[in-house]
Amino acid sequence: MTATDTIVERLAAGAVDEAASRARAWLATHGFPHGRDEAWHYTPVDEILATLAGAVPAAGPAGHLDRSIVDDLAGDHGGRRIVFVNGVYVPQLSDDRPLPPGFHFGPLAEPSGVPAMLGTPGGDPLDGFDALNRLAAGEAAVVRSPPGARLDSPLHVVHLGVPGRGTTAVHPRTFVHAAAESRITVIETYAGLPGAMVTNASSTVHVGAGAVVAYHRIQAEAPGVTHLGRTRIGQAAGSELRAVSIMTGADIARLTLDVVLNGREARTTLDGLYVPRHRQRHDHVVTVDHGASAGTSRQRFKGIIDGHARGSFGGRIIVRPGTVATDADQSNHNLLLSSTAQADTQPWLEIFADDVRCTHGATVGRLDDDALFYLRSRGVPLAEARAMLIAAFADEVIARIAPESLQQRVAATVYAKG
Amino acid sequence: MLRIEGLTAAVGGTSILRGLDLAIGAGEVHAVMGPNGAGKSTLANVLAGRDGYDVAGTVTLDGVDLLGLTPEQRAAAGLFLAFQYPVEIPGVGNMYFLRTALNALRRERRQPEVGAIEFLAMAKEHMARLEMDPALLNRSVNAGFSGGEKKRNEVLQLSLLEPRLVILDETDSGLDIDALRAVAEGVDRLRRPDRAMLVITHYARLLEQLRPDRVHVLSEGRIVRSGDYELALELDAAGYGVRSGTPVR
Repeated sequence: MTATDTIVERLAAGAVDEAASRARAWLATHGFPHGRDEAWHYTPVDEILATLAGAVPAAGPAGHLDRSIVDDLAGDHGGRRIVFVNGVYVPQLSDDRPLPPGFHFGPLAEPSGVPAMLGTPGGDPLDGFDALNRLAAGEAAVVRSPPGARLDSPLHVVHLGVPGRGTTAVHPRTFVHAAAESRITVIETYAGLPGAMVTNASSTVHVGAGAVVAYHRIQAEAPGVTHLGRTRIGQAAGSELRAVSIMTGADIARLTLDVVLNGREARTTLDGLYVPRHRQRHDHVVTVDHGASAGTSRQRFKGIIDGHARGSFGGRIIVRPGTVATDADQSNHNLLLSSTAQADTQPWLEIFADDVRCTHGATVGRLDDDALFYLRSRGVPLAEARAMLIAAFADEVIARIAPESLQQRVAATVYAKG
Repeated sequence: MLRIEGLTAAVGGTSILRGLDLAIGAGEVHAVMGPNGAGKSTLANVLAGRDGYDVAGTVTLDGVDLLGLTPEQRAAAGLFLAFQYPVEIPGVGNMYFLRTALNALRRERRQPEVGAIEFLAMAKEHMARLEMDPALLNRSVNAGFSGGEKKRNEVLQLSLLEPRLVILDETDSGLDIDALRAVAEGVDRLRRPDRAMLVITHYARLLEQLRPDRVHVLSEGRIVRSGDYELALELDAAGYGVRSGTPVR
């Protein structure tokens, strides 16, 4: 048996439906990523695979959680909240506040059936981990808005991890489908209790024609967790996506964020903030694929890296042949708070059209000594002065978070790093 | 109040201050003038506690040894440096910064902290006296401020933080006539019997308003000459080439 077979056997032995067999076949052909793959260059993929090979499926939903723990781990941001523990929907922890007609917000038992239902093509898995998610996922969280509907309060999907004996592997799955001309705000939080876990999360977001989606992905997992996430987003004509990725937790965390602009005049802004400290590793691998004309995209990712931690950003912009009037912009700025912190940044532009405005920029720096001295000379103690400058650095991204309570929650995590 | 004895400072082995002596009493205003490269800004930086200098000698403020203190401890001890080039800090709101600084000092001085609303009223009152646009409170610290706005923002801080010893480092540089007048009047109003001021400047124009009690000439890291306000006028007319006369203590 190969290592791939071993992992599938241990973690997804029971998956038998058609989608599962397709994913199994895909995995048998392509296997898992390795460190030589460009997109996995900065991630310790061998270490992750070794962890996964020793992992076991979750024993079942943990019974000892209550709502106050969910409030503590994920926050209450005013809208409706649904909670999954180790990939299983837990109604006792979830809200049943009514939603306007036509909305669906809850679990869907057969994830393999979801793409067809939502009209989102499943397509090939992104990589071996995505294939494993399709094989091993339990209940998917589904967010669906009807055409033209507008909901201001955020729809909050909480995926909690509760470790058991040994290393527990869970495979959360989330589908967001915003129908044409609808407007929704979604929060997807990953959090949990400390202990050895692998969270292998796949999300799919469809932004319908003229729809506006604010999508917040919060990775605030506990120590001991390896987090492998991917969010694939497709945008129809005239749609707008405002995505924010915040990474604060886990030991090793990686997010693949893929956005495809399928329709004309789609607009997308992707903001990200990662704040690894101690020996944490936080990686973002972002792709914006301009597959249609007159699209606008902006990527703005920031890292605040302390201790022996490492953070990386790989940002790819693709402009397809035959498209015109693309406006694409990317930046990655990093703040190193210690001499042993490390930041890696890699822009990656593939432009196959002429009528393009495309900019990118990256920096790695330290706290400004002049600014620190200025603040201290006014009596502000060193730790507070550092915290002020760190908060100022992070503020540009934090200000992009739509729900105010979530903004404050994230800001508090970042301020605590001074 | 301020007593400097045998102060030396070097950067990377290059000696900049070479045994500087200066004493300023409570209520006095002293000017230190000198050509570029004389060590004027180094003197300001060393007194405020900036990193990067090898410093020896003694500096005391009301008998407290300043050289052993961090910049924030010196501020708490009553020292205030108005920067020649106030630092732009994008993302840190000016009002938040000013209130944080004021409350940090008030904590050190065991005074109650000032709340946001009370502070706003207080800041606006001080700003009106300096002919400052109150909108500057809502901007990031010095970010995109004109030269005049930056210097007024320095004087605003001086006015709010109520230091015992004020060091003005080239506060008159880069100002047009109106801004110079507003800044000079603002500083002049802040003279107190229990407050000392050290005005570091290249030109005499700020001194016309402030009329210092003593004027010192700094050259090659030492005070080479001291006199009254007339000395400033003489230097302004004749330049720093004139170094005749006996150094006066």
